Amino acid sequence: MNNIIEVTNLEKKYGDINAVNGVSFNVEKGEVFGILGPNGAGKTTTVEMIEGLRKPNAGTIKVCNIDALKEPQRIKEIIGVQLQATSLYDNIRVKEAIELFGGYYAKSIPAAIIMDEVSLTEKKDSQVSKLSGGQKQRLSVGLALVNDPELIFLDEPTTGLDPQARHNIWSIVEKLRERGKTVVMTTHYMEEAEQLCHRLAIVDQGKIIAMDTPDNLINKAELATSIEFSTSKELDGLAKKIPGICKVNNGSARKYSVSTKAVSRILKDLTNLCYDNNIELQNISVRQATLEDVFLAMTGRKLRE
Amino acid sequence: MNTLIRQTSMQMRLFLRRKDELFWTLAFPVLFILLFGAIYGNSKWEGMNIRSIDYLLPGIVVMAAMVTGIMRTATGLVQEREAGVYRRLALTPLKRTTLIGSQLLQHYVVIIVQTLLLVAISGAAFKTNLTGNTALFWLTLSIGALCFMSIGFALTGLIKTLRSATPIIQIVYFSMMFLGGIFFPNSLLPTWLGNAAKVLPSTQLGDALRAVVYNGGGIGDIWQKWLIMGAWIAACLIISIRFFRWE
Repeated sequence: MNNIIEVTNLEKKYGDINAVNGVSFNVEKGEVFGILGPNGAGKTTTVEMIEGLRKPNAGTIKVCNIDALKEPQRIKEIIGVQLQATSLYDNIRVKEAIELFGGYYAKSIPAAIIMDEVSLTEKKDSQVSKLSGGQKQRLSVGLALVNDPELIFLDEPTTGLDPQARHNIWSIVEKLRERGKTVVMTTHYMEEAEQLCHRLAIVDQGKIIAMDTPDNLINKAELATSIEFSTSKELDGLAKKIPGICKVNNGSARKYSVSTKAVSRILKDLTNLCYDNNIELQNISVRQATLEDVFLAMTGRKLRE
Repeated sequence: MNTLIRQTSMQMRLFLRRKDELFWTLAFPVLFILLFGAIYGNSKWEGMNIRSIDYLLPGIVVMAAMVTGIMRTATGLVQEREAGVYRRLALTPLKRTTLIGSQLLQHYVVIIVQTLLLVAISGAAFKTNLTGNTALFWLTLSIGALCFMSIGFALTGLIKTLRSATPIIQIVYFSMMFLGGIFFPNSLLPTWLGNAAKVLPSTQLGDALRAVVYNGGGIGDIWQKWLIMGAWIAACLIISIRFFRWE
């Protein structure tokens, strides 16, 4: 067994609400494990129970074969955590914060290495309150690495960040992945989950509704591919010859879309039709189903609402 | 132990970086002693055997200890709690007891510095002269400091949000200041109010300090005052255990 986390039947109630309702999963050593779901699905509550911040109402948690509910103090030494909010003294400097946190652990990595890893060396003397959102988040990730943990938790590491800052965080996670660190991250961005995670648990209303690699999740869902195109002339009556074709009503004329599982067949029919009638195909695009569509198909709702 | 020292010195560094807090804890009490010294000079209040400024110095020492012990402790804790600092620290192996210890130690050091500063400046400007048992003076002040800090912790337990913190803390602080015999003897208050104000730790600390430095008071003269402050500490401890929350 190479499981670094084993969670079984985890439950957390807030009043009458089952925030987490019987969640079980394992995370293997060296894996980047994503917990994907909409806001309020119970992602944060789940990871915070593993981290020891919240007590579950039921269930068991093992981290590195240690019972996390019985020995939370031992768990703290070996995990690194980035919380959703920055949560630091507002006037502490970057280097000071890293050194302060390093001092809490039996072993720690020198501040210079951490700052280099999260690209904050130039900001080492800046106070936390003067940092940008992306820099704060990188510091937060850096603090999760000070004790050189085997297991790192990242709770929505890129929420609220601009694309540039998001890519910075992604490259940090990619480096951790290359170094064989185990990462558990929550997110409601499917691009993030697809790009970074080896394996994903899709969570909705306190339950895991699917768990697999991103590719398998998409393939297994057997969702239709969407083909979009414009034409040089109106198709009018000819459109009937393509099953499932719809006119896109966003103001631009001669724009159509087809949703299909038989991509090659539709493309063949479409090109033939246009060729025979002397119509030119323009801006043709073929879009495969994404995790967003998988979630929509499974729950009837969008990830971000 | 090492962690306690590191945590305390980091908190001290962060404190020294805040200009507004430096003003309220260090400059403000000094301005007060200079202001009152300038107003009263060498005059005496009726029925008093010491000058007004002699009376005022221990009073301002108590006021300064309250600024740090009550106001700084409570506001700092509420702010950092609301910012999620303690929530983040809960994920590290840092122990809660170390965190509490560092809070007490940091504020205690500030109270000592405030006191030394006030005694020195007042001595230079107005020739106030504290005699009596020095060890007894510091011991009494330390009990008072601990008492104020425990009030700060208890208040943090009772205050739910940062928004409500300032008014609640101000009410406690100002009532302890104006009823605590800081600026004038409680004998000038209506009798019933003066008697009621005797339960306040600020009254007890001020009276005890004056008894030691001007009347050569010993433990026999002030133990009851220690006891009242001790009762406050015990009560605040109970409130803190019941209501204090780190997040």
